[in-house]
Amino acid sequence: MGLIELRPGGRPEPDPEAAVYTDWESVYQDNVVGIYQLAFRRVGNAADAEDVAEEVLIRTLHTLRFPAAVHNVRAYLVKTARSVLADHWRRHYAAQNAVVELEQVPAPGLAGPPNSVASERAQRMLALLPDQFRRVLELRFLRGYSVREVANEMGVSEANARVLQFRALRKAATLEQEVLR
Amino acid sequence: MKDSAADRVAQFVEDLLKGRRPRRFSATPEEAEAMSAAAGLAAARVGSDLPDKAALERIHRRLSERLDDSPAVDGRYSRRAWLRTVGTAAAAVVVGVAIDEAVTRRGSSAPTATEAEVLTPDGGQWRPVAALEQLPPGQAMTVSTAAMDVVVVNDGGQISAVSGICTHLGCKLQPDNADKRLACPCHQTAFSWTGKLLYYRLKSAPPDLPRIQSRVNNGQIELFV
Repeated sequence: MGLIELRPGGRPEPDPEAAVYTDWESVYQDNVVGIYQLAFRRVGNAADAEDVAEEVLIRTLHTLRFPAAVHNVRAYLVKTARSVLADHWRRHYAAQNAVVELEQVPAPGLAGPPNSVASERAQRMLALLPDQFRRVLELRFLRGYSVREVANEMGVSEANARVLQFRALRKAATLEQEVLR
Repeated sequence: MKDSAADRVAQFVEDLLKGRRPRRFSATPEEAEAMSAAAGLAAARVGSDLPDKAALERIHRRLSERLDDSPAVDGRYSRRAWLRTVGTAAAAVVVGVAIDEAVTRRGSSAPTATEAEVLTPDGGQWRPVAALEQLPPGQAMTVSTAAMDVVVVNDGGQISAVSGICTHLGCKLQPDNADKRLACPCHQTAFSWTGKLLYYRLKSAPPDLPRIQSRVNNGQIELFV
């Protein structure tokens, strides 16, 4: 049985301002899913999200002194996540100024229902795209079409479908920054 | 032959959608921008952004190794602890994805796909339940007949219908148009619009929702009930 099993069920958090973490396990348990989700929204795959989440937690936990106020820890986690994600893009894709504009995370918790943030943002962003762009991204990402299927559906060549996808994503990136603001 | 920017980004997208760790390469700022948007969209697929049990186990174990003076007893993470961690945070357990196309994720286990049964009531007949224009694309509505509750869905012009009753304990499902799912208020179970089980927090997976035959006839949505 792991340590977590021994923890009492409810974490008492009567006053959010006064709540503190006293050990790394509670920081982990409270925040790992939220950090993972936040990372996933920026890397888009499970393997990288896992690595990023671990790195964020380890960097944060190395510098924490317990007891630590919950709201401070959460703010620090988000700040650390921003820097780990920027490193990720720089190291793996040579992206110098990878915009890691992390959305502000509301204080009560870092985790949301699955996909709520990502899908809400995606919907808002898709709605703003020109028809062709929206169509290619919807088919590819939300409906799981292959490039070939997208090409067939839209009556273009596969090479054109890839170009369309690229342009749509670039447009989406600029829109996303507006949406996030 | 040198790949174009569109090709490199397409490969990145392909990796994300296949659930693979994408290949590393030196991207131009434009490519990086597009790739970042792709990551955000990949996260928008229902069920994609929750860690599975194995991932949490690995993170927990590695944190223990790197942090702890008193390492976790056996480094393992019980299913209950996982449910609690994921559950308190997200109130849902990923068992599948909303889009019917399978999305492979490392270590995840999708429920065994069973062809959803079609519910055909004895003595049923085609009955109009709503005008097509009452149900715009992207919406689902609950229809109650004498015999059953049915959720009728307009997914991009395609009309379909499933039973509106949760297969677990019979609670009435609530259509959620934003996420294209049907939520059970009783035990946080969720189904896709096609009736596929998406989330559950029960000991075992409840079956998919039975489908109900539907058609559009003269601008009327009709169900075989």
